[in-house]
Amino acid sequence: MENVLNILFCLTLLYLGTTTRIMAYLNVFVTQGILLFVILILPLFNKFSAYTFILPVMILAVKAVLIPIFIKRKIMLELEVRKSIESDFQQFNFLLLCVFTMITVFVSANMLAKYTLIDSIPFAAAFSTIIIGLYIIIFRKKLIVHVIGFLVMENGIFLLGVSIASEMPFLIELISLLDIFVAVFLMGIAINKISSTFAVDDITGLDELKD
Amino acid sequence: MLTSILIYIFFLASAPLFIGVVNKLKSRLTGRTGPSLFQPYYDLRRLLRKETIYATSASIISRIAPVIGFVSLLFAGMILPIGFYKPLISFDGDIILFAYLFGLARFFQILGAMDIGSSFEGMGAAREATFAVFAEPIYFFTLGSLAFIFGCTSMYEIFHSISLNNPAFLVFISVASISVFFLMITETSRMPVDDPNTHLELTMIHEVMILDNSGLDLFLYQYTSYLKILIYATFTSNFFNPFNVQNHYLGFSIYIMIIFILIVNLVWIETMMGRFKLKSIPQYLLFAASIGILNILVYSFFNK
Repeated sequence: MENVLNILFCLTLLYLGTTTRIMAYLNVFVTQGILLFVILILPLFNKFSAYTFILPVMILAVKAVLIPIFIKRKIMLELEVRKSIESDFQQFNFLLLCVFTMITVFVSANMLAKYTLIDSIPFAAAFSTIIIGLYIIIFRKKLIVHVIGFLVMENGIFLLGVSIASEMPFLIELISLLDIFVAVFLMGIAINKISSTFAVDDITGLDELKD
Repeated sequence: MLTSILIYIFFLASAPLFIGVVNKLKSRLTGRTGPSLFQPYYDLRRLLRKETIYATSASIISRIAPVIGFVSLLFAGMILPIGFYKPLISFDGDIILFAYLFGLARFFQILGAMDIGSSFEGMGAAREATFAVFAEPIYFFTLGSLAFIFGCTSMYEIFHSISLNNPAFLVFISVASISVFFLMITETSRMPVDDPNTHLELTMIHEVMILDNSGLDLFLYQYTSYLKILIYATFTSNFFNPFNVQNHYLGFSIYIMIIFILIVNLVWIETMMGRFKLKSIPQYLLFAASIGILNILVYSFFNK
């Protein structure tokens, strides 16, 4: 069943390579948050205790509710960014790149699984999430899309943690959540500051920044 | 065997009805009364009465193209299991034949469009060929991955081995059915890819290719396109058909029900979505094809 969820996770990644709208990017991020929630909550069905539910519920609250609302309200509406992602790289080629990356990652994960004890499918899903998050940051112009790419990357790191060790220390997970939230918060403030000073929302305009 | 033939005749006869139901539901959803359910039949009858006229520049190709298209789809339909019944043609590797019959029909339609020599039709033919390039991998990756998973290459056996016991297979199947749905929309030129009701030649893909045909030829083209969409709908519906049901009548009624659900989905998508830009269609098709690639990738690790 967890493999199934990982396949769905990979599908959301492919959709990131297909769509050109910022709202769709945000929706994909919400879907990934919900998928992570289900992945975390599935092994807990037998041992029911309130303590173990804190983390999944927090994941759901932060990734599927708080951050999307924050991005939508504070950033999208206040800055009035345009709806398309404006990449300098054709979307078709981007998707091809994603597919080839995924194939490479799956094959190498399979080779790794022969020597180590990792689960190949969750590992491959997590690793391709990280790389595709990185691609989004590299190939897109808009800052807001960079934030979402960073968050997708963070999802991948989280999934990697889940796949490599089934019991990740509780505190570290909490810190990772806090980390994300602070990061988004800071980025929001940074973008707001930049826009109030320079009125640009993509990285090409940042070349003009000098001290 | 006799029931299979009867079922197939019923299948052929109900092809225009499918479009009729789609159009009716679509108009209802947008608040119009819409044409009658049997409007496609009336259209076909009207076309049959008309005289067939050929352009002066047309050669033998445009005379044989509609017939070849029709006959190849007729055979393609025979490979497909309808409801619970065994298809008329079934052998190992018939999934390849199925794809190539469609390819043959498309090839002759493209040739027929270019044969007339109108620039509009040439443009439509070019578009059709472009999208076919992206549409065929969807078929081969999806069905190929299923053939790989179930270890058989006959369409009847593949759909027969689908069982709902294993949740992982369930996901493979539903994910594969998404990409086949994409394929259906592309191949039959429905809404997000191509607008069947458009009246501007520059934006058409499929309709522009048959602008200069009339009478019996147009009848054949129209009927072939009705048949094509029903074949693809059946193809998609087969993914959800629980073949463990041993009762023929029950299997057939489940088939009708699934087709109806599919129609509702199609109508909903066509009403809710605008047309894609021509430029961005290939990436959606590649998305559907990569679903098949993902299926193969994941399945090859499931065994380990």
